[in-house]
Amino acid sequence: MENIYKPYLMEIKEIIEETSDTTTFRLAFKDGSIGEKFDFKAGQFAEYSVFGEGECTFCIASSPTRKEFIECSFKKAGKVTTALDRLNVGDTIGFRGPYGNYFPVDEMKGSNVVFISGGIGLAPVRCVIDNVLDLRADFKDITIIYGARSVDDLVYKDKLEDWKKMPDVKTIVTVDPGGETPEWKGEIGFVPAIVEKAAPKAENTYAVVCGPPIMIKYTIPVLLKLGFDEKKIVTTLENRMKCGLGKCGRCNVGNVYVCKDGPVFTYEQMKELPQEY
Amino acid sequence: MEEKIITKENLIKLSTDLVNEGFNVIAPSEKGYTLLQTDPLLSLSDSQPLPKSPFKGYLFPKTEPLFYYKKGQHDYEFVDVNLQNVKNIFLAAKPCDAASVNILSKVFNWDYKDEFFDIRADNSLVISMACSTSDEYCFCTSVGLSPVSTKGADLFMIPLAGDKYAIRIVTDKGKSFAEKYSKYFSDGNSVESEKVLAGIKAPEQSFDTAKVKDWLDKNFESEFWNGIAATCLACGQCAFSCPVCHCFDIVDEDYSYKEGRRMKNWDACQFGLFTEHASGHNPRDNQAKRYRQRISHKFKYYKDKFDEVLCTGCGRCTRGCPVSIDIKEIVTEINNLN
Amino acid sequence: MNNLSQIISELLTGGKVTKVIGYVKSGSRSKPFISSKAEDAGKFIMDETCVNNLAVYLTKDEIMKQGKVAVVAKGCDIRAIVALIQENQIKRDDVYIIGVNCQGVKENFDSNVLAAKCTPCKVKTPAVYDVLIEMEKPKSEPSKENKKEEIEKISAMTDAERFEFFEKEFEKCIKCYACRQACPLCYCEQCIADKSVPRWIESSATKRGNMAWNIIRAFHLSGRCIGCNECERVCPQDIPLSLLNKKMSMVAFDEFGYEAGMDMDAPTLTGNYDIKDKEDFIQ
Repeated sequence: MENIYKPYLMEIKEIIEETSDTTTFRLAFKDGSIGEKFDFKAGQFAEYSVFGEGECTFCIASSPTRKEFIECSFKKAGKVTTALDRLNVGDTIGFRGPYGNYFPVDEMKGSNVVFISGGIGLAPVRCVIDNVLDLRADFKDITIIYGARSVDDLVYKDKLEDWKKMPDVKTIVTVDPGGETPEWKGEIGFVPAIVEKAAPKAENTYAVVCGPPIMIKYTIPVLLKLGFDEKKIVTTLENRMKCGLGKCGRCNVGNVYVCKDGPVFTYEQMKELPQEY
Repeated sequence: MEEKIITKENLIKLSTDLVNEGFNVIAPSEKGYTLLQTDPLLSLSDSQPLPKSPFKGYLFPKTEPLFYYKKGQHDYEFVDVNLQNVKNIFLAAKPCDAASVNILSKVFNWDYKDEFFDIRADNSLVISMACSTSDEYCFCTSVGLSPVSTKGADLFMIPLAGDKYAIRIVTDKGKSFAEKYSKYFSDGNSVESEKVLAGIKAPEQSFDTAKVKDWLDKNFESEFWNGIAATCLACGQCAFSCPVCHCFDIVDEDYSYKEGRRMKNWDACQFGLFTEHASGHNPRDNQAKRYRQRISHKFKYYKDKFDEVLCTGCGRCTRGCPVSIDIKEIVTEINNLN
Repeated sequence: MNNLSQIISELLTGGKVTKVIGYVKSGSRSKPFISSKAEDAGKFIMDETCVNNLAVYLTKDEIMKQGKVAVVAKGCDIRAIVALIQENQIKRDDVYIIGVNCQGVKENFDSNVLAAKCTPCKVKTPAVYDVLIEMEKPKSEPSKENKKEEIEKISAMTDAERFEFFEKEFEKCIKCYACRQACPLCYCEQCIADKSVPRWIESSATKRGNMAWNIIRAFHLSGRCIGCNECERVCPQDIPLSLLNKKMSMVAFDEFGYEAGMDMDAPTLTGNYDIKDKEDFIQ
């Protein structure tokens, strides 16, 4: 019997403490042959499980162009994430995926791309940033705007340094007013305000926006004012998902199952959905 | 449609044979659809009222293990669930329950195939029977069904005078079954059965699903939803006794430190915590929003996605509702708003 | 019914209450109805089909947040209101009680027999109310069921027999939680069954998950259950929940002389330690 609910087994190879409550796992398939065949696209998610506690949904944070590890980042929030937080290198977890749709990387080729994210929202965006940077020649200008509540809350600090060093990538990092330290040399301000200040040009540009709902709510009007096309503003919806297979009904919003027709949506598609997410 | 005749005596002999061959023969009784071998009173008259619960539990159980896990020294081991010896025969099912099989199959088979449902459904035979016990809560005729609908059935029984039944062969599966047990059947014609069918009183149609869907398409934010279902207790009874509601939850249960199982359990969108995120944000945080989801999912979203209305008009949700919230009344109101 | 409609109309037009919770006709039954409009006053009824315990709405924030509420309540419902006041969930001033001189209600709408709980009822004329109304005389017969006898039969079983009896009944449970939602005394903001960190009660409808849920609910109601029998009425699987809950109220009375919902000022049984409490069960 083909059991669509049965996960693959993954071993935790490395644990990185990003902030006080956010952790990144580097995982590898226990069965190497599955690891070799495994493929996914930037933006897809998976169901990670701790046996005995349950399953939990996060995006796959590593890029599909880098196959040594599967990476995921999560914030300690509920039952399963708390259990994941307690695991050590060498422990086994379950992995079901990849599910969902993906960022339109192919469509974005030949355009400028602006990546805007906040807090843990950098996790799904980082996957597509790495994917795009690995194919750098196919894209024009690349801008990365990222913000968090405070310097401590910035995730992927080493990646941010890497991107800042790249000459053909414009990287702007900001913290909320009050979150800066005396040594902080980056911007200070909420992400939507920094986007307005940076004023990326809208022509032939895709905007990838990911972060807390309130950040998205205030960033999109800024982008629209700058002249961005609704079809070229891409974001991810964070709904409560359970099966990931479009069956259990939990993520059903309007005619759409977020786990199958999302989690990546353009702003144009999001406007069509009933506003209950 | 090819038609055969079977006497009541032969039907009981056939049922006994099937039970002895290892089939779960399931027939309606007051308490619900029960196994014949544990409930010997088999009432096959067409005046058997609608059983309190539908038979979806035999295809999509209220709780079932997805797999078992054992923690070894460095690894986890999975033990699979074996469903191969599940064989069901639903006998004298009501047409509104028989129709649920096709409707449920759509969501369990689009893109990914849920074998837990498929194996059970493939190994089941549905023999429905014309129904003459509709009451004021039934509305099968409003959702495209009727007391004599053959949707979802493999064989369709019509009670005739003289303790006999006409059996119409609806699907190939039904045909193979009739051929296998042909010693119990004799040939029939549809003269008498047509007369019986014509005499069955059907519930009056209350609403038109196309009109309802049209209104739902345009009125997500309507004032109509304010305060709807204000007395709803969020008890989940409507979803659990509905033949086609299928939302579920996946949870892990440990037996001990080293082993356990992952379970798939019934769930309901009417429960307050159904859409609550770990952050505490709940997109449907009051009962009116949850009830709007119930109606919209049944009469619009499922139709848009799978071209089926997610309702068979059986009325169990209303009959069993502790506060008598009437879905037929509400949908008829929507119909009249358009 | 003019009396009831008049009372409700006056309460709403005078602004004495912000809304009224009562019953209206629904086919051959009745159903709860909440309104803040005086023109709805004529819809309210009170007859033998009005079985719901409307006190269950008094702990819901959405209903109570606008201010004082009037509720049509029979003796058993008023016991629930008094129990809620005893437990500091509502204040006497939050609710205007339209008491009913009750002669019995039906649980099973297909029969002509009143509910079993009504035959031994001691609060047919309630003790607490703001105004008292009469109900339409019931057309149904009083029930001859004797719950106490049934409970005594089960008490006479051996421990193993009793456990098997309840295990078999609870196996039917589908974990719909209708019993909890319909109970006016189950008002916890986060029910223990919904807590997942840690998971105290399994959510699966298996034998052990069902035993855990039903027995823990009976424990949490011990000494608090006022016997409205709504849990058993709403159960879609016909589980005889009243046997367990009534047994626990009998224990509360026999051992501690306590009955929930009878005296607004009395301390609750399980929320109070009395130095005179019996200790002979401590071995």
